[in-house]
Amino acid sequence: MHFSFMGKQGGAHPDDKKSRTDKKPVTNASVPKIMVFPVSMHIGAPAKPIVEVGDKVKAGQIIAEEGGFVSAHVYSSVSGEVIAIEKRPTIGGEAESIIVKNDYEYTKAEPITEPGRSHEMTKDEILATVRKAGIVGMGGATFPTAVKLSPPPGMTIDTLIINGAECEPYSTSDHRAMLEHPDELIAGINLTRTLFPQLQRIYIGIEENKPDAIEALEKASAGYDDIFVRKLKSMYPQGSEKNLIKNLTGREVEPGGLPAGVKCVVANNSTIRSCYRACEFGEPLIERIVSVSGTPVKEPKNLLVKIGTPMDSLIDDCGGFSDVPGKVLGGGPMMGKTVSDLGVPIIKGTTAITVLTPDEADQGDRKDCIMCAECIHVCPVSLQPILISEAFERGNIEKAKELGAMDCIECGNCSFICPSKIPLLENIRSAKAAIKAKEGK
Amino acid sequence: MAQAVDVQGKLRVGPSPHIRSKRTGSWVMDQVIIAMIPPLLAATFFFGWWALGMVAISTATAVGAEYFYQKLTYKPITIGDHSAALTGMLVGLSLPITAPIWMIVFGSVFAVIIVKQLNGGIGRNYFNPAVAARVVIKALFTPWLENWVLPAGLFGSGFRGVDAVAAATPLSFIGDGMRSVPEEVPGFLDLFMGFNLGGNIGETSKLAILIGMLYLIFRRVINPKLPILCITTVFVVMGLWSSFDFTFQMTHMLSGTLFFAATYMITDYSSGALTPQGKTVFAVGVGVLTAFFRITLDHPGGVGYSILIMNALAPFIDSKLMPKIYGHDKRPQTSFNRQGSRS
Repeated sequence: MHFSFMGKQGGAHPDDKKSRTDKKPVTNASVPKIMVFPVSMHIGAPAKPIVEVGDKVKAGQIIAEEGGFVSAHVYSSVSGEVIAIEKRPTIGGEAESIIVKNDYEYTKAEPITEPGRSHEMTKDEILATVRKAGIVGMGGATFPTAVKLSPPPGMTIDTLIINGAECEPYSTSDHRAMLEHPDELIAGINLTRTLFPQLQRIYIGIEENKPDAIEALEKASAGYDDIFVRKLKSMYPQGSEKNLIKNLTGREVEPGGLPAGVKCVVANNSTIRSCYRACEFGEPLIERIVSVSGTPVKEPKNLLVKIGTPMDSLIDDCGGFSDVPGKVLGGGPMMGKTVSDLGVPIIKGTTAITVLTPDEADQGDRKDCIMCAECIHVCPVSLQPILISEAFERGNIEKAKELGAMDCIECGNCSFICPSKIPLLENIRSAKAAIKAKEGK
Repeated sequence: MAQAVDVQGKLRVGPSPHIRSKRTGSWVMDQVIIAMIPPLLAATFFFGWWALGMVAISTATAVGAEYFYQKLTYKPITIGDHSAALTGMLVGLSLPITAPIWMIVFGSVFAVIIVKQLNGGIGRNYFNPAVAARVVIKALFTPWLENWVLPAGLFGSGFRGVDAVAAATPLSFIGDGMRSVPEEVPGFLDLFMGFNLGGNIGETSKLAILIGMLYLIFRRVINPKLPILCITTVFVVMGLWSSFDFTFQMTHMLSGTLFFAATYMITDYSSGALTPQGKTVFAVGVGVLTAFFRITLDHPGGVGYSILIMNALAPFIDSKLMPKIYGHDKRPQTSFNRQGSRS
């Protein structure tokens, strides 16, 4: 907690714990026998399986087709045989999944587009390829990228923001991706810029705790006078879309509005890199970098993981547990989701596996609020979390709404910072659900 | 995969965030208690060993009062949050060495029972318990209070400072319409260090208070803008009043309870403003009112009145200065007061 003198700071400083993995180059994860591909690895309609049990599939072969405009294709990341299509536990709960038995042949499917011609692709070709590759927001949001990159007609985009903040503690997958492949990110940016003719500037926002990545990208972008690598204060949630836009351009997205409303598009760096690889090499999104870290992990690592790999395989790659794990998270400790079963697969938006000891994951004993105002201080969207929480607990849903419950981005700073260990975000989430229910949305 | 099988079924699940900061409410209270050690030592050094006795009585009374109140009303016992001890220490430190024991006890009981517990307990009270108790004591018991004495050192003054020499506090020379500093008033160094200064035992050494203030800022327990704005405001208003007579401004800044209150009283979470801009208005408000009362009143106590007035205004200030939410043009058009007794 730091105080700014007159105003508020809108962020918190959880210990970033990145030093466990931030110097470790990405290595290949082992690929297990059984791979699990949920048909819903994204926001939007689930994809529809187009294979049947017994079918042979190739690595990079489409196995489920997008189920609507806001949806994404699902590809098999290995070659082998479909042995089941059934409900399986996933990071977001149970979901229909296609189970592929790996034959370890790695027979490759045809590329999704002719390789080597990304530089001459038209706007429509790029968007079609991104859509075809099944690319979704890889920073965790998993919103279909082709949709994100096609703002509603009539909206001009003058600023492209590449999110390299990676503000979650422990996570280092974006850090390593930017450091090890800066040229592919810049190539992805140059591809993306084709989509926005009015584009004036491109910001790459990176937290200052990644000086080597900042340096690598400054070098890689040296020839472009409209690409700006911006060093951001290391402060959670620096990487939230709304805060990035505010911090880099001074603009504020309207409540319920799109970044395009303030002429911005924000995309995660790994997503943009995947767009480049899809267009240049014809690769669908079948692998990603995942950092596996946390006190109980014997040997934390950054791994290049084939999507669909169950978590326990990655934990094994990291030497297993040296300590009793209390919580295993898909993502970081601030916004990640708990899993109860280590058989859940890595999906397109899984940036990290974070393992916490029971002590680290302890939520503390709730006490009475002492009115320290810390939650107000750390809220990135300037809410008064304690008031919303209290309004909710008193059953005053209307008041919770007036206090801005719907504007909460659920970053978790309020619950994290509260010395009285009040479940502020939980209450705000419940308030939001109650407001939505009341308004029949 | 043997490793993984071991944990299956034992993993905890739950909503994010999954980590909590180490800070707790009682840790915060402990920091303020630690920050009061320098003024307590200074009080002992200047006014004698009885200063320790006073604070021991006020603290024990405050903790005991909270304990028995909660016991008798079948409420959870909360003395473990250390907030009652903190209030008790403040009560003790804001009385003069001559204060009778019954007055110390009255102050702590009044602060903890009437101001804090009957208003809903921790985080719910509108008024700063120690300040309210001090102001009530002054209103009710002035005849037993007014004999300020000069400090006579650790062993120079006996029980309740009975051997000490009666004195006036600097404020009695520079308040009530004065615009400059008469010669009798101690110099800056004496005012800052607390040498030869009458007053409440905790407030005379500004050096000791400053150490406590810096500690609390360093520990990020108090928002630095509160003491800084409050003290600076008094300095500026006194400048306007005295046509910027630097000696007059400095003497006011270093006199009375201002430093003590700016560090330990207006930074109280519960009775202060909650919103960032509200805090600014609150601190400046205390400063302006303090200067105003010092100029217009012929008796001390202006800081106490100022704090209580701003305490009463704080919920209103907060409701008018709710932060503008990201993406909105206006502040939330609502008010919500979370203080007062729990329903």
